[in-house]
Amino acid sequence: MDNSPDTAAQDLRLLRARDFWSALALIALSLFFLWKTLDIPLGGSNGAGVNSADWYTSAAIVPLGLFGALLVLACVLLAISIRSGGASEALSAAGIGWNGREVWRFIAIGLMLLSYIVGLVPRVDFILASGLLITALVASFHARPEPRALVPLLAIAVAALSALVMHFPQSEWARHGDDLVALALLVALTLWHQVTGVRGRALRLTPLLAIGVPLLLVCAMAFGFRQNVPNRGGLIFSKIEYTYYVHLRPIWRS
Amino acid sequence: MEFVLGQLAGFGLAFAALVSDPLTYVYLVASVFLGICFGALPGLTATLAVTILTGFFGNKIPLDYALIALLGAYVGAIYGGSYPSILLNIPGTAASAATAMDGYPLARQGRGAEALGLTTTASFIGTLVGTAALLIFVWVLLLISKNIASPEKALLALFGILLSGTLMSEDLPIKGWIAGLIGLALAMVGMDPILSEARYTFGWSYLLSGVAVVPVLMGAFAVPQIIEGMRHVKTGQVAALKGRILPNMAAMRRYLPTIGRSGVIGTGVGALPGVGEDVAGWVSYGVGKTVSNEGEQFGKGSLEGLLCSETANNACIGGALIPLLVLGIPGSPPAAALMGAFKINNVIPGPTIDPEIILRVVAIMVLASFTMFIMGLFTARIFIKVLRIPQTVFLPLVMVLTTIGSFSVGGGLNDLYLMLGVGLVAYVMNLLRYPIAPLVIGVILGGMFDETFRRSLLLSDGDLSVFVSRPGAAILLFLIIALILGQMPMAKRALHRLKGRPA
Repeated sequence: MDNSPDTAAQDLRLLRARDFWSALALIALSLFFLWKTLDIPLGGSNGAGVNSADWYTSAAIVPLGLFGALLVLACVLLAISIRSGGASEALSAAGIGWNGREVWRFIAIGLMLLSYIVGLVPRVDFILASGLLITALVASFHARPEPRALVPLLAIAVAALSALVMHFPQSEWARHGDDLVALALLVALTLWHQVTGVRGRALRLTPLLAIGVPLLLVCAMAFGFRQNVPNRGGLIFSKIEYTYYVHLRPIWRS
Repeated sequence: MEFVLGQLAGFGLAFAALVSDPLTYVYLVASVFLGICFGALPGLTATLAVTILTGFFGNKIPLDYALIALLGAYVGAIYGGSYPSILLNIPGTAASAATAMDGYPLARQGRGAEALGLTTTASFIGTLVGTAALLIFVWVLLLISKNIASPEKALLALFGILLSGTLMSEDLPIKGWIAGLIGLALAMVGMDPILSEARYTFGWSYLLSGVAVVPVLMGAFAVPQIIEGMRHVKTGQVAALKGRILPNMAAMRRYLPTIGRSGVIGTGVGALPGVGEDVAGWVSYGVGKTVSNEGEQFGKGSLEGLLCSETANNACIGGALIPLLVLGIPGSPPAAALMGAFKINNVIPGPTIDPEIILRVVAIMVLASFTMFIMGLFTARIFIKVLRIPQTVFLPLVMVLTTIGSFSVGGGLNDLYLMLGVGLVAYVMNLLRYPIAPLVIGVILGGMFDETFRRSLLLSDGDLSVFVSRPGAAILLFLIIALILGQMPMAKRALHRLKGRPA
């Protein structure tokens, strides 16, 4: 790592350029919330002959102070950034340290997590959904000097989109059409990873971890801790739950 | 003396109850082992260990066992961070960053086993020092805290957030304050605590009950770690170990004053609201370097330097629990996760906390430190193997763990959406060098600040002098103003002039 004074100065300029944008965002945010706070009654009001709170107990008083302070601090940060030359750097992509590879890495991981949380977890069997996420992340980044996130991202995004399109309303979350799509994509992605991945123990273990860990977790949570788990009616978990309560549990209960 | 003996008797009873329960050992061994693994894996932190276990055990088993699991993981993770620091020159946790300064040079000299033996012993003693301080001082402070009323509580919460923002910020302190204010603002969402007025819910009924703490913790600490860690990193060469990992008793005797001093520093730093084990380690290391006769050897493989940081970061745990239990203000980021566990069990840490819980916490800490010591000496080779697991393989598993943990605490998908949203914001904040700990502490203390600030004004009929007319409040207000003014360039220049140095 280069720790020379020149690099440190360049890093500081870059940081101040980013501070310029973050200060502007914070100013906009605090102004918006100050405006929203004005909806909350400030000061005493009489309703049906009952005197409600005075200004000092109003639900708006603390938020007003907070967002006011945030606005002031954001302005100070903006001033620091401008004085340090951040404003002039901020107007060029290179000036804020825009790195195409890093942006793509963040977008790919962000979209995978978004697909998992918003599309898959509510609608698709938890074991399959988690297996798909684990495989996608490992296949994209493990042992690859250059990430290959496009195919894994497409796999998880297609699974999520089909779940959203096929079974959007909550009343349909227990149906299995999207589970089968996710299963097919998981198998396909696993095969792609086994063919293109870097040889090693991690490659061999990925399918086992992708299915084994979520399976263990969901069973521990549902039967060990007796907690709710995502999508109880999922393709695999519904079978496990049925077998547990109908065939296994009666053995030791009796 | 009578007070101390009374405390020891209470502790003895709690300890006896704990050791006579076989389930204690199951939770203790499992959680300390998991904690050490989390600490040993670069990319996972002590805060993450406690946060994830909060999701798993927080409200699913009795609080007594949940505390064993969480405190065991906390103690284990802070210690576990020393493994990669010594053997890979990569701190497993931020708390062990100072350990790498002398630990890795020692390992390169072929003294890795000796260094691990010393850190194990130092961590054990450090935890005990912090725990002893917790046992004694928590009661003294509890007696004082009975006189703390709403104005002091409001100012204390504000002071905690500002102090955490100042000390945890790597860049400008103002960024720490902004992070703290964002946390406070998040805590304003939902029904307000006095008039039940809905604030910033945007028509989403889930937000009426406010922002849940556990998803915020998971999002703030786990998601950025996962996004940041998913990149190709060549696993470093683990330094070879020669000989057995045993405590070097001669060195321990020789450096006993250093260990004592570091324990006190660690406990003191831990007791500061929101300041974590990493600060404790560095402060102790810095003090050690200044006062030691071997100061020039620090950074070149000094045993004393190693002991300074490792004793302090573990002593910090006991210190961090003091403000948590006495005032309901977390002393460190992992303590904030612990606060989340208390909250989901409807236990409110503070002056009204059940004294039995404090004694039990102390007993658990002692048992956890013994377990850590024994595991550190006899199963260290397993943890060294853990170092070889690549983060691109275990981080996806952590994401699944986090998801199911967060879902099961509140039992809803909304918690997952909140977790992801907070996580993405926290990642961007990390990129821009805003510290995350003040944000989390702001979320945790926001409700208390809002309620006590307005209650103070209600009781004084809107008279703001209530914040200066009480001695405790006046002192806190002075500290807050001094803290803010102390960061102003003018004040800094004046301070440097007084010291006779150019700014």
